[in-house]
Amino acid sequence: MKVKKKSVSEWVKSGDPWVWLNAGAVAISVIMVVGLLLLIAVRGLGHFWPADVVEARYELPGQPAYKLIGERVESVEVPVAQLREAGINIPGDFDLMQRTLIKTGNRDVYGTDFRWVLDEYVTESKRPEMLFTAERHEWGNLYGYLKSVKENGQIVAETADYEPTESALATWEVFQKSIERADKIHQEIKKIEKKDIGKINYGLERIRLKQRSLELKGELTPAAEADLTVERSQYDEEYKVLQQSLIDLYAQINRDSFTVEAMDGSVQEIGVAKIVHAYRANAMGVGEKIGFYFVKLWEFLSDEPREANTEGGVFPAIFGTVMMVFLMTILVTPFGVVAAVYLREYASQGWLTRTIRIAVNNLAGVPSIVYGVFGLGFFIYFLGSSIDQAFFPEALPSPTFGTGGLMWASVTLALLTLPVVIVATEEGLARIPRNVREGSLALGATKAETLWRVVLPMASPAIMTGVILAVARAAGEVAPLMLVGVVKLAPSLPLDGNYPYIHLDQKFMHLGFHIYDVGFQSPNVEAARPLVYATALLLVIVIALLNFSAVTIRNHLREKYKSLEM
Amino acid sequence: MSNVKTHSIDISSMQRSQQALRIEDEKVCLSVNNLHLYYGDKAALKGVNMVIPEKKVTAFIGPSGCGKSTLLRCFNRMNDLVDTCRITGEINLHDENIYAKGTDVAELRRRVGMVFQKPNPFPKSIYENVAYGLRIQGINKKRLLDETVEWALRSAALWDEVKDRLHESALGMSGGQQQRLVIARTVAVKPEVLLLDEPASALDPISTLKIEELIHELKNEFTIAIVTHNMQQAARVSDYTAFMYLGDLVEFGDTNTLFTNPDKQQTEDYITGRYG
Repeated sequence: MKVKKKSVSEWVKSGDPWVWLNAGAVAISVIMVVGLLLLIAVRGLGHFWPADVVEARYELPGQPAYKLIGERVESVEVPVAQLREAGINIPGDFDLMQRTLIKTGNRDVYGTDFRWVLDEYVTESKRPEMLFTAERHEWGNLYGYLKSVKENGQIVAETADYEPTESALATWEVFQKSIERADKIHQEIKKIEKKDIGKINYGLERIRLKQRSLELKGELTPAAEADLTVERSQYDEEYKVLQQSLIDLYAQINRDSFTVEAMDGSVQEIGVAKIVHAYRANAMGVGEKIGFYFVKLWEFLSDEPREANTEGGVFPAIFGTVMMVFLMTILVTPFGVVAAVYLREYASQGWLTRTIRIAVNNLAGVPSIVYGVFGLGFFIYFLGSSIDQAFFPEALPSPTFGTGGLMWASVTLALLTLPVVIVATEEGLARIPRNVREGSLALGATKAETLWRVVLPMASPAIMTGVILAVARAAGEVAPLMLVGVVKLAPSLPLDGNYPYIHLDQKFMHLGFHIYDVGFQSPNVEAARPLVYATALLLVIVIALLNFSAVTIRNHLREKYKSLEM
Repeated sequence: MSNVKTHSIDISSMQRSQQALRIEDEKVCLSVNNLHLYYGDKAALKGVNMVIPEKKVTAFIGPSGCGKSTLLRCFNRMNDLVDTCRITGEINLHDENIYAKGTDVAELRRRVGMVFQKPNPFPKSIYENVAYGLRIQGINKKRLLDETVEWALRSAALWDEVKDRLHESALGMSGGQQQRLVIARTVAVKPEVLLLDEPASALDPISTLKIEELIHELKNEFTIAIVTHNMQQAARVSDYTAFMYLGDLVEFGDTNTLFTNPDKQQTEDYITGRYG
């Protein structure tokens, strides 16, 4: 059978090209989103995998050979001409060479964490089991061979071996126990420093402010002063006790040390207290590595950052982001709903209302940094300092609300997302069938009662849609926050056990700003790069979770108040 | 359909017993005096004068756009919701002008309940739908609410069907049940007058029949005004009928006379189906 070939014009007429075009656009969008997520997931999540540590001999032509110990990070091809220009003498006829970035750690010794090596000149590469990685509270990772463990300067275990012999393994055991002990003491110290002493400081600050406020009012009688002195001395007493226990703990934590042979052959002595983890990645099986991976991942989610944010966790940033979004939601929802109710239900629909509606819609298009500037100028400098003068004169000249903080950031973002909520709520109100309102009015309900009991509950799914959009926008916003209260490192969470528990005046950390800070403001960019990806992934997940919970609530409401169209 | 037919035979026997009805003998519930209503510049009611007798069913018939629904909505001031609406004349509810200044409209609507063409239950449970009007009045005592809800649902012949699922959503009911629920909801606030705006037009014949039976029951306690497109329905359920055309009240009288022996040619043309 002969099949008649379709002409192009017939093909166009059939509509197929449109289908292809539309489907293609959808496919490209999906691929781009999935690709983006995959990229940040792979780059970010790989960071927590305990990578093998390689030992090798590295000899550039015409230069002395040396031992190289470290983790492979990445590999790229470079043109040889470029290397020659950089002054490396490369004999032979190459065009391209493989170059690898090795994380050698020991920044305190070598000054840098990373170095590039040319694969061509790396020889005798091996992965010895006794080679270990130590994560430290400061100075990044340490790689080397464990030589001995000391207690009060006395050697309690030592080994001369580089292979997993009995003595080497026994020393390793002692080392691990020592780390565990130090870690426990470390937790105690942290608890005392953060919680107990934090409380005392807070109490002392309150006494100081009380004294100052009495002074300002001219009511600082000798009796009152004596009272305050008594209170203060009570705190001082408590502090002395805590300080003594701190001194004891510090003495205990500094008891142990260990010696390690680094890649240049030098032996260093380091306090065990400085170690977070020590592990021999080369000796770990896959199961062990997976277990360790999740430990590290949990640490990332639950710990505070170390080392100018390039190490440790991001918990304060997660907390700050979520808390700010919550506060923003609590502020923006009632405001937006009330405004929308007035515009849609009460205002006469004249030119003024139309103008206001257009203005509100346009507000959604104002760049976010403009809101940041407004927040700084109006909320912080004007409102904040007025509040300080009226309610916190005792703290002046140091500002309480007259500086960026959680509240002003939430208020600024609430303002930023207000149009979204207003527009969504108005649309929801407009969709409530007239006959339901009439049904309520016909039963003797006033307009306000009808709104409150029937119309608003029915419009709640639409309101939630507005809130979802607002959350999505606010959680990802960084630019305005930099002006109104986000910092790279906040000393404490805005929610704690000290009265009044929520500290709206405190500065806070935010995942979005954390990405910017770690990636672009950090002194150690190479070390921080994986964290940028990991934090970016986390930000996406946090926003997705916030959205997901809002969508769940909305679907629930939708089911409850499903439309009455028949 | 066969149900409806049998039913209509019942009603016609009923109608015979009502032949002695005379409007002059009735107690007046609502009286309309020279009522004009304009939507913007357009007159929708042109000087209507009539009375709605107490505890009787008064039907309004007429072609679409004749103003019968508009007139009905005047009785509980539902037209206030329309911005462009303007009214002159007066309507007295037991000698009280409901358009007088200072009238409490919410209170008026409590006394003059209304059921709409489409069932419009609230997205709440059956119980809460019926209790809505009471809660609005600030009645929250559980015992009183329970009693009233049961009484209202029984009055609307719905109790037996829903007594086991009072706390389920009203939106899961059938259209006919929803309409009876709306009637129960309206009855629950114990109004003096029930306004029914084509209450059966969106329903199937069996539900329609139930609503008609219900109207017959309810007139013992309430004054009922019903707008309907369906002349058979008007004939079946009402004691008095008003025929309206283009904003005028053409003829008003007891149903039997109006349908069998109308005064006006226009009325006769309409009920015999010559136009409309």
